[in-house]
This record gives sequence, structure tokens and C-alpha cells, in this order.
Amino acid sequence: MLPGAGFAWGLTMRGAGLQNLAYPLRSVQGTVTPSRMFFVRDHFEPPKVSLETWSLRVEGRVQHSYALGFSDLVELPSRKLEAVLECAGNGANGSAVSNGVWEGVPISVLLATAHPASDASSVLLEGADRGHLLSDRPLLPYSQVVPMKKCLDPSSLVAYKLNDLALPKRNGFPARALLAGWYGMDSVKWLQRIVVLGPGDRDTVFEKSGMNREYNRLTRQNGHLRVARVSSVKVKSAIAWPSDASKIPAGRYSVWGFAWSGSAAIDSVLVTTNSGKRWDPATLSPHSPRYGWTRWSYPWNARPGEYNVMSRATDRNGNQQPLRRDPTRKDTYELDWCAPVHCTVG
Amino acid sequence: MSLIGVHRFTARWAKLRNILALLVGCSALVAASTCPDQSLKPGNTISQFKELDSQAEAAMRQRRPTAAIHLYKKAICLFPNSARGFYGLGVAQLAARDFAGARVSFQTADRLQSTSPMPLIMQVRANFSLGDMTALKANLRDVSIRFPKDEQAHTALARFLAEKRLSVLALAEALRADKVSDGNPISRVQLAVLENMVGAYDDSIDNATSVEQHLALPNETRAAAAGIAGLSYESLGEPEQAIQYLRKAIKLDASRENSYLALADLYEQSQKYSDAVEVLKQARLQLGDSPTILLPLGADLIRAGQYMPGVQIIHNLLRQNPNIDQAYISLADAERRMRKTAEEVKALQGLERHNPRYPMLHLLIAQAMLRDAHPDYAGILRELSLAETSAPSDADVFYLRGKVLIALKRYREAISNLSRAAELRPTDVSTYYQLARLYRKLGNNDMAAKQFRKVRYIESAATK
Repeated sequence: MLPGAGFAWGLTMRGAGLQNLAYPLRSVQGTVTPSRMFFVRDHFEPPKVSLETWSLRVEGRVQHSYALGFSDLVELPSRKLEAVLECAGNGANGSAVSNGVWEGVPISVLLATAHPASDASSVLLEGADRGHLLSDRPLLPYSQVVPMKKCLDPSSLVAYKLNDLALPKRNGFPARALLAGWYGMDSVKWLQRIVVLGPGDRDTVFEKSGMNREYNRLTRQNGHLRVARVSSVKVKSAIAWPSDASKIPAGRYSVWGFAWSGSAAIDSVLVTTNSGKRWDPATLSPHSPRYGWTRWSYPWNARPGEYNVMSRATDRNGNQQPLRRDPTRKDTYELDWCAPVHCTVG
Repeated sequence: MSLIGVHRFTARWAKLRNILALLVGCSALVAASTCPDQSLKPGNTISQFKELDSQAEAAMRQRRPTAAIHLYKKAICLFPNSARGFYGLGVAQLAARDFAGARVSFQTADRLQSTSPMPLIMQVRANFSLGDMTALKANLRDVSIRFPKDEQAHTALARFLAEKRLSVLALAEALRADKVSDGNPISRVQLAVLENMVGAYDDSIDNATSVEQHLALPNETRAAAAGIAGLSYESLGEPEQAIQYLRKAIKLDASRENSYLALADLYEQSQKYSDAVEVLKQARLQLGDSPTILLPLGADLIRAGQYMPGVQIIHNLLRQNPNIDQAYISLADAERRMRKTAEEVKALQGLERHNPRYPMLHLLIAQAMLRDAHPDYAGILRELSLAETSAPSDADVFYLRGKVLIALKRYREAISNLSRAAELRPTDVSTYYQLARLYRKLGNNDMAAKQFRKVRYIESAATK
């Protein structure tokens, strides 16, 4: 376990029970991250949620507000999909990313029952965990606001299973949002409220807690600072083996890792062992799901010397992983560039 | 509940109601052409129906579902709106593995007699067998809407779904049952079991301890609850609490095998083998010589260093149950610890006779043979060839073969095998060490030095 690996938030983190866990990618045997090895990033202490009292309310700009319990939720028509969850602040080659098979009820099904108003534009997702997100803000639940369009996508779920088992407590048991293809912060854990919002609804817990100030892409161009919400996961690859600053004896090895993108399945991965002078195609695993990651490998006959190994992914929409960080970026999210792994072969 | 059991249960259910109420009207739902016997027409007597019905029940009891289907179809010809007829037909079709037919029959029974949850419960079974989870969930929703307070129905569904390992859905039904049960301890224990199964350990502990603390309840129920609390505490990583509750479970009901096994397992995990032995000896005293107790008892005796009694128990176990793979492994483990190599090999060969596909068995045999004071090198090489066939990229096979070939002075082949082992597992120091010693023996000091450098390099990398 790597405490704090890839952690790059600027948020106030308070509470003894907060968890910040990640496991080396090399410990993933197949293509799915075992539930016990799923990364965890908490903003607040995990709430005490009892199955008997837990409920999910669907309300806001709807004709019919309602609440459902755990039994009601799991007996609704469900969907299963493989999807990566990546922390928006996961470092290049970081391990705050996991891939699982999720099962849950499409959010669209829950919304349809409530009959949203015709001007409904976004949805507030609220968790049962609460705290002071920023030191000058009140005690409020964790929340995110997501466009209605994304919520109506069949890949957006209220998930209650991960890898065919109930969600682990630390990953949002009994139910969490799962917005496949988007960064992890929107997949609200311990989900307790879905609130349909209209264009004028501005004074929600999202704004009051200060969450609207976080997870924004800040770019400075021509002296102007542009702010946009971080959402869809950028195309990215990570090297699981070798690890950075490793020393290995000369020999034949397989450099391997994972590649993923929020926009489309992975099309190709290139690998260099000489700081980018020459790039060769890696072999992709035939299993290449739309929202899940793709495992790749590259045979390497390592001779004594110093090496910078890098990987570079392209998705089926033609998006290619950048070689370096966009110099106009002023935030610490979407760390998607091809970071070198330094390796000494003796 | 078995299908026959369900049938009997339903028969009792039906008898509670006036059978005439089930034989509503005579409008032909079933076309006359589907009647196996054209002489049977709607409107015949109830006594004829009853006769066919009891014959069909008898056929089910005799495990002749095809005959029962035929008889129920005849009965339905007499009374085409008979819920009981369609229900019985569905049960018989289920038993005959005609799941699609069964589903239709239960749907019809439900339409005709919508005041009982049984046709819906049986549709769940049919839909499970058809792999139709969407329809199964729709049935569960129907039960929850139409029979929200029927504890028996929710409990039966929870049990069935748990049996089929649909633990989240089982939990959903157990929650429904608990909600309407007014604190029924059996429902609560079932709920705690399922909560423990899906990982809701805090809920499981809350529910289980509430039952365990209820002094007026029978000890068996309290023991089951204490056992569940123990397992949940174990899963939460609180072994002291887990031990406390599992001990309580044993004290309350000394006849529950699972409590002993779970407690012994906890001790094994913390390598307290003597404590595990004590628990299992107590279990043996109470419950006799069951394989589920004898196997861990033998293995733990061996791990605790009490080889002879351990070996004796495993030998006795194998005499009664020669197909327990792990017993051979435990036996081999004991012989290895006692440095009785020939006996160790014999134990592993015993496993080979019963399960030749046991993973890496030939490598285990080769390793055991190599420990002998006068190894049978030809035999070891034969075992390694077999091991390579099943696992062609296992570094251990090549490493071990390299060592054997060195002993046989077949140095070139040894180098080739050890090099292959290094290629397959480049960070293993022992392979380079063997290669270095071999090159030095052959007078190739440069190559020997190179291998030693690799050893030092890996060791230095490991310490950083």
C-alpha cells in the first residue's frame, strides 16, 4: 500500500478517519483491480451508514420526489459495466486509479421515476459524509453537481456492487454514484440524495461548501485565467513495471502497465526506453473495454545502463497522451503527461 | 427448500383455503387441443380434478415429474381456471427442467390467484434457472409491492437467493423480512449472516449481538448470533473481539462445528497452532471424528511440532477419505519436518494417485526427492519433465533441474537451465549464485565474477 501516493489536492483535509490509500499497479494480476486494492480518497471521515436506515432521496425540480431503501434499489433493473475510476489529482504514473466491474441502477432510471421538470439542467449528488471542505465554510455533506446529460447516459449508475460483491465500506457502501469515463470526485460515495437542479439553482450545498471552487481546470492564456470544471478522464497510460528509481540486473523483461481514456477505448500504446528517441508499439491485451483500462506489455532486453522508460497512449477517438504538462495549466488536476520511469540496469 | 418440499408446502397452503375458491369458473384458458386426453372437458366434476391432483402429487413424491406434468395438464382440462392446477404444473415443470414452461404456468397461477405470493416466489426460481435476472428482479418488486408484510415470503426468498449466491438480493429480502418481523430473532440472525456475507460488518454485529444478548432466547439461536458476530469482528480486523464471541458461541451451543472451525482458523492466522489444536480437540470430543475437524487438527498438530499424533490423525483420515488433497500435503509437510524424505515422497505420490492434476505436484515431488541423502537424479529429472509439461515457464523447474544437472556433472546443460531460470525470474539471487559457483568450478572466472556482481547488485538494490 502506498499511503499518499499521487495525492495532489489543495483541499483542507480534517479528521482522524480519513483514508488515502493506493496500491502499486504492479499488484494487479489481470485487468480488474481486486476490491480490497481499490484506491481510496476521502474528503471527510467515512459516515456510519446502517442498511436498515439508509435511503436515497430523489428530489428537487421533479414532479414526484421519493426515497428508496437498499432493498428497493437493488431490486430495480441494473446494469453491469467495467470502468476505471481515477482521482482527478492522480499523478503521472500514479496509482490513485483502479479498474472494476460495477453493477448498479442507471441514474436515468431513478430520474425517470421522479419526472424531472423540463428545464432541469443538472443534478446534485450528495454523500452521507460531511465536514468542513474549506476552513471558512460550514459543516456540510460532500456533494458534486453533474450536468443532466451525463446523468442520463446509461453508463452513469448508482452502483451497489464492485467486482460482483457488495461495495466495500470505504468505497461507498451501500451505494455510490459511478459516472463512467469521468474523474472520481463526481462518483459520490455513500450517496444519499439526488437533487435535480434548474439553470437558476445556485445556492446549494455544492456552492455553500466551497466545492464549486475545487476540481477546476485553470489555464492562463494571454493574461486571462480561464476556469472550467474537470470532468471527462484524459487519455493516459501508466507503467506498472518497472517502478521509478528501480535497479534491476540485465536480462529480458516485460515492461507493462495500463492505459485508459474517458472518451473511447484504447487504440494503441507506444513505449520508449531511451527518453523518447525511439517509440515502439506495445502489445495490447485483447480485452479493451469502452470505459475500462487496457493492459499493455512491451518486451525489453535490458542491458547495463541508465534508462528513462515512458509509455504513450492513444484512444480510438484519436486523443493522444501529451508528452509534457500543458504550461498554461495552473491547477493540479488531469496529470496526464508521459512521465518517465528511471531505471538502472546493472 | 427442495422442489418436493415446496410442493408439500404449497399443498398445505392450498388446503388452508377452500379448494373450490381455486377452481374459479370454467372458461377455457387452455385450448382443448392442448389437453392430453380429449375426453376430459371443462365442467367435469371436482372429484375428478381432486383425483388427478392427488395422483400428480403422488408422482411428484415418487420423483416422476413428467408423469405429474401429464396429470396436471389433464386436471387443467377439467378446470382451465384452476390456480392450483397451474401451480402444480409449474412445480412439476420446474422439476422436469422445463423452466420456460414453468414460468408461464406460475404466471398463469398468479393471474388466477393473486392473493398468494407462492406463484411469484416460484417464478423467481424459474427465472433464476432461466438466467433472466431482469424478470427475477421484477418478481421481487412485485412481491414487495403486493405482499409487503408477508415475512414468510421474504424469508423464503432470502433463503433461496442466498443458496444461489445472489447475496445482495438475498440481503434485500432479509431486510424486508426483518422490517416486518417485529424482532423475530431467526430473521435477525439470517439478516446478520447476509450482512456479514456482503461486508456490512457493523450492521451484522449490531443485529447479531442484539440477538446474542437476549437471554430468553434458546441457546442455539444465541450461539448462531454470537458466531456471526465473531466472524464480522474477524473481518473488521478485531481478533480479540472475534475470539471472545466465537468462544461464547461454543459455550452456548457446543454442537456447532462452524464455531470451532472459525475459532481454530483465527488462531491459525496468528500462528497460535497450540491454541488451534486445543479448540479442535474440544470439537472432536463433542462432535466426533468428522473430516472437517480431523484435517485441520492433524495439520495444526504438525505445525505445532506434535508430528506423531498429527501424522496418525491424517493417516486415519486418509484411510476413511482417500480423496482429500490437503491431507496428503499435510502428511508430506510432517514427514519433511521430521526429515523423512522417503515418506514425504510417498505422501506426495499418494496424492498423485488420487489427483494427478494437483498444481505443481511434480515439482513438489522433485523437491522432496532432492532432499534425500542419496537422490535418485534420473527420477528427479523425470518428475521435472512432467512439471515442465504443465508449467513451461516456471523458473523453479529450470532452477531445480540446473542443480540436478550440476550434481550429475552435466555442466553445459546446467548452465542452460539456470540461465533460463534467470531469464524467467531475473531478480532471484539464488540462480545467479548457482551460476557463479558453476562457472568458477569450470574455471571461467570472468563469468563467475559477472554472476557474483549480479548477486551483489540485486542485494544492494533490495536494501535501498
